[in-house]
Amino acid sequence: MTVPATQTVEWISQCYSHGAQHEHVSLYLIREGDDTILIDSGSVYHRSEITSSVDTATGGDGPDAIVLSHSDYPHAANVSPLGGGTDTVELVASSGAPSQQGLPDARKCTIGGQLDVRGRTLSFIDPPLADRSHTTWIYDHGDGVLFTADGFGNYHEPGQCGYHSSDFADMIPEERIHAYHRDNLVWLRYVDPDKVERTLDDIFDRFEITAVAPIHGNPIMGEDLPKYRERLYESMKRITDEYEVTPSQKPE
Amino acid sequence: MTREIAPGIHWIYEAGPDRTEKLDLAERQPDWYEPGQKAYIPQCAYLLVGSDKTLLFDTLSPANTDQVLSAIGNIVGDWGLDYLVVSHPDVPHAGNTKAILNEHPETTLVAPAYGNDHELYQLDDGIQVAEGDSIDLGGRVAQFHEATFLDAPVSVWMTERDTETLFPVDWMGFPHLDREALQFVDELDGEFDVSRLVEFHSRVLFWYQYVDVEKTNAEIDNLITKFDPEMIAPAHGLVIREKAAEYMALMKDVTEIIDDNGRIGTLG
Repeated sequence: MTVPATQTVEWISQCYSHGAQHEHVSLYLIREGDDTILIDSGSVYHRSEITSSVDTATGGDGPDAIVLSHSDYPHAANVSPLGGGTDTVELVASSGAPSQQGLPDARKCTIGGQLDVRGRTLSFIDPPLADRSHTTWIYDHGDGVLFTADGFGNYHEPGQCGYHSSDFADMIPEERIHAYHRDNLVWLRYVDPDKVERTLDDIFDRFEITAVAPIHGNPIMGEDLPKYRERLYESMKRITDEYEVTPSQKPE
Repeated sequence: MTREIAPGIHWIYEAGPDRTEKLDLAERQPDWYEPGQKAYIPQCAYLLVGSDKTLLFDTLSPANTDQVLSAIGNIVGDWGLDYLVVSHPDVPHAGNTKAILNEHPETTLVAPAYGNDHELYQLDDGIQVAEGDSIDLGGRVAQFHEATFLDAPVSVWMTERDTETLFPVDWMGFPHLDREALQFVDELDGEFDVSRLVEFHSRVLFWYQYVDVEKTNAEIDNLITKFDPEMIAPAHGLVIREKAAEYMALMKDVTEIIDDNGRIGTLG
């Protein structure tokens, strides 16, 4: 399913079912003139749907570039089927050891730096919420969209798969934001949420963010960002409060 | 490159790229670094050979497919590989899973029971292991544990009961010099410098910069009590075979140093 997110950013929404709740495993498409840039490439689990959606969205031409947040399989499994790393489809990734990450043909972006990709200016941000060390968040200077990879996610109910944050009755429920981050960023149990919050404040001060585009959640529109961040902060506090270090025995 | 670290436990080593420039070592000159030397953050897999069964823990990266297949073949010979345990589906740890299973169709894939999206990683066909599960290889037993300090939610740690070896995957990694490859930590010149551990954890376990120090260090004390290992075999460092618990305790200093100084930088 391809859903407009902002003026020139489209959401290629894919979902994985955990029974009563779904988790997005999406990607995004940026239109820059006649060119198209994918942010991430999705999971092998959704390969046929993704290649079909991209084919339709690009009029059969395929993308002109793929920019990866990181090499994790749900984000990078369709690079080759989508033509990434060939003469016609530029591949951009942040890894310092691209061959070890299975991306030997990638053009390297530097986390903390900026690149022009097919005429679009992208900044690469060191993310406070991630599940791999070489993850980068990507800020699109065209529409002001922040692509947050594994951060800013949420589970959702069947029937809410194509929702923007503003389509929910009261924005994305805190319970879904909490459950997603508890299950997927397990290390949050050890953090001081205020330290994470300060880094998020810095990022939101530095960039004019009109929307947040997570891979594992519904897109969050600008007017909903303050409420989402409040709920994210409360979720982090709850994750840390719920986990107590309990003495354990040496295994037999 | 391989080394037998205890009878029947083989260390399979991948250097990866020279990290000297990325870590800015020539400019920063940390105590452990020698000018002119190359520095590496290795990728390590471990192959356990029991009297009945064999087990490989992790696969190395796709940049070393031929080397890992060759190492497995040289060690197991006609015995075959009985189990392939993927600690977590990160590419440098799991990137040769398909190649190994293709080369060794006799192998049973073993995946972490933790996490909730195994299909996305094509790990749903394997048997799944969690805290308390074990595999008896004959004369040695691989035991599985919830991964405490991790990145991916689909993760598992392992111990080997006979040698009391802890395999903590991404935790307790550190860089080494070119000439130190495949050395035990007790074979290094001079005293081990804690800044090696800081270098790794502040970059790779990036979330260390945000932790509650007291809580994290209480968890480290907990791990020392729980495992009290004789040997530590990390995925991204050299093997520790002496005073292993003391090195675990050193990780509390790492927590405090990163809390004081922040993250050194990224590894991306």
